[in-house]
Amino acid sequence: MIVAGIGILFAEGCGVDSLDQALQKGWQPPSPVDAPRAAGNKRLAYQVNFDSVPDKSLLKKIRRADKLSKMAVVAASGALADSGITDIAGKRPAIILATAFGAHVTTFGFLDDILNYGDTAVSPTTFSNSVHNAAASYIASSLDIKAATMTVTQFRFSFFAALQLAQAWLDQKRCDYALVGAVDQYGDVLGYVSGEKLAAAPDGKIKPFVLNPTVHVPGEGAAFFLLSREKAGKAYCSIDAVQIGEEGTRAEKADLNIIAADGMLADESRYASWLSSATPTAAYAPLYGTTMTGSAISVAAGALTLQKQMLYASPVLDNPRGLHLLDATKMTDIDSLCCLDCNCYGEKAAVYLGRT
Amino acid sequence: MNNDAILITGSGVISAAGASVSETLQSFSRGERNAGPVTLFRTGLDKPAFEVRNIPQTALLEGQRTLSLTLIALDEALKEARLSDCSGFRVGVCMGTTVASQLNDLDFYKSYRETGAAPLTSVDRFLKGNLAEVIARRLGARGPQLTVVNACSSGTDAIGIALSWLKAGLCDIAIAGGADELNHVPYCGFNSLGIMNPGLCAPFDRDRKGLNLGEGAGIVVLETAGAAKKRGASSDVFLLGYGSSSDAYHLTAPSPEGIGLKAAIKAALDEASISASDIAFVNAHGTGTHDNDLVEGTVLSQMFGPELVMLSTKGFTGHTLGAAGGLEAAFTAAGLREGWVPASAGFSIRDEAIPIAPVSKKTEVHGRFALSTSLAFGGNNAALVFGREGKA
Repeated sequence: MIVAGIGILFAEGCGVDSLDQALQKGWQPPSPVDAPRAAGNKRLAYQVNFDSVPDKSLLKKIRRADKLSKMAVVAASGALADSGITDIAGKRPAIILATAFGAHVTTFGFLDDILNYGDTAVSPTTFSNSVHNAAASYIASSLDIKAATMTVTQFRFSFFAALQLAQAWLDQKRCDYALVGAVDQYGDVLGYVSGEKLAAAPDGKIKPFVLNPTVHVPGEGAAFFLLSREKAGKAYCSIDAVQIGEEGTRAEKADLNIIAADGMLADESRYASWLSSATPTAAYAPLYGTTMTGSAISVAAGALTLQKQMLYASPVLDNPRGLHLLDATKMTDIDSLCCLDCNCYGEKAAVYLGRT
Repeated sequence: MNNDAILITGSGVISAAGASVSETLQSFSRGERNAGPVTLFRTGLDKPAFEVRNIPQTALLEGQRTLSLTLIALDEALKEARLSDCSGFRVGVCMGTTVASQLNDLDFYKSYRETGAAPLTSVDRFLKGNLAEVIARRLGARGPQLTVVNACSSGTDAIGIALSWLKAGLCDIAIAGGADELNHVPYCGFNSLGIMNPGLCAPFDRDRKGLNLGEGAGIVVLETAGAAKKRGASSDVFLLGYGSSSDAYHLTAPSPEGIGLKAAIKAALDEASISASDIAFVNAHGTGTHDNDLVEGTVLSQMFGPELVMLSTKGFTGHTLGAAGGLEAAFTAAGLREGWVPASAGFSIRDEAIPIAPVSKKTEVHGRFALSTSLAFGGNNAALVFGREGKA
């Protein structure tokens, strides 16, 4: 399948151009965010700011939606606009939204309602927005897409599973396009949980090649891809294969590996066993933070790499293991790359992208 | 059925109506409605619910009621399918849920907001409680895994996705369905929407006053003809088609014209290569809310005619949210196999605004094909077509 358009919203901005600029600019520090119950009342995190969204009309249209849904709608809409394909609603697009934690911030807001006001006086609007598929529904209604609209979750591999499903649906002609993406949100409770379970990066820097011990900085964002069977739109690249939980040797055949190491696991050494010294490796989590579905942003970076034939240096290069890193931004001539992710069981998921 | 047909070689269910398919059918036949006051949590509300009673203590995993229900239904489905060893097959697992996918533990959150700290036990349970993942690990399944969180159509969508996987060759066998426990949070949420019935639900009835929540799990084992042959398994019931479509209309209300539901049903019929007139009966979503039943009844009448044999089983199970599609798939397959469907519990007075009425007594069904529909919060709609080998 072909990546016809990309929409993205993350801490560094909105849209593919923002991603390109962030990749060229390199590491930027995260921001202190309010954490009323944490020591010092602040935590470091990479958070989305809607000021970066150039056209606010869509946000106005979904003003009652929560932040998760707004991020998803902006990214999904961005993917359609980026593709340049018009009248997508009439072209049988399916929506597949992947999320690890869904609307947890709104869910905790609903729990606040229950705790504050009792069972009988909770807000129906908050409840509506807390339902997992609210974000996908907002995408469908705001973009007027009357087609299969799916929300799926598989924690670390949510986005990969969504891509796998999109491939099957496109092959079976259940849809002509698939609008596939991932979205996850930072929240105070999640910040507390990750702070308890994972080591925080004292300087705000995720060091994706250290692998053990790891450090993390919570992040959030959304990345959507308009996928087609045939070459269409901007045709960034092809998605040649999606492999989940299987060992394979294809990683050695790619011209570049992009790993999603982000400090979500205390020990991410497993990545090293999948990498070849012959192939350079990049990692971009230091730009967007630690998030279960961050691979979607890595895949967007990979698609941009292939389309522009531009290798983007990894933003943080601490490399105690002597891995073969992509350490300089430069023009290139490559045909394929592999985006790798690792779950808490040490299993692998991979997306193979090819030049169109 | 053709060689591409997907066999249903096993089914497992648990709900307020029974802890197995046979127990449930007997309960249906007797017209039992096992609803009552909520006992699973303390609440200031007094709306009845369909709780699953008498779950053996040994089957209850602490703090993981949805998973407990899942594993009970799974056990029955695997036994019927005689699937104890997955080696040699790529087995996929696709499960729908709502509650199991949300970190919504009130005690955990209360502790955190009051003290800034909370034991992470409930978080760990949540992180280790992804239904598809748990099933796959228990079975050593090496195929695709996915948990679908598409609100009330999750179970139907999960089965439909499994059908896609099987047809795409991503797996040979798929375990699919849905599960949800009765939980405090959606109980309050549905009440806030003003759609919970203070009495027992009455799907499609003129005087319907809303839904009752329930809980349960419904799972089917699906497999390609090739995999079944290799295992020596067989079945006379098949999954033939799936369709899904959103209304793109409103977060909590269905499109008045039923645009998405029509599209989903049409897609499912097309995939099954049958026409509307081939359908022997429809197990409708039929929640008992004013809007759902009006839209669904109108669409079914338009597409299948006013004489269609149609029912809702939610009068026996309550609305089990993510489990509903799994349970109703198993009930629909059982109806085709048994040749009868139960009375649509709760229905007594025809609503003149709905051009079709559900069956009001146990009814024989003749024919080889049946449909199960789900309408979801968010405007999603899904439909599955089932078939039975043999004469019409």
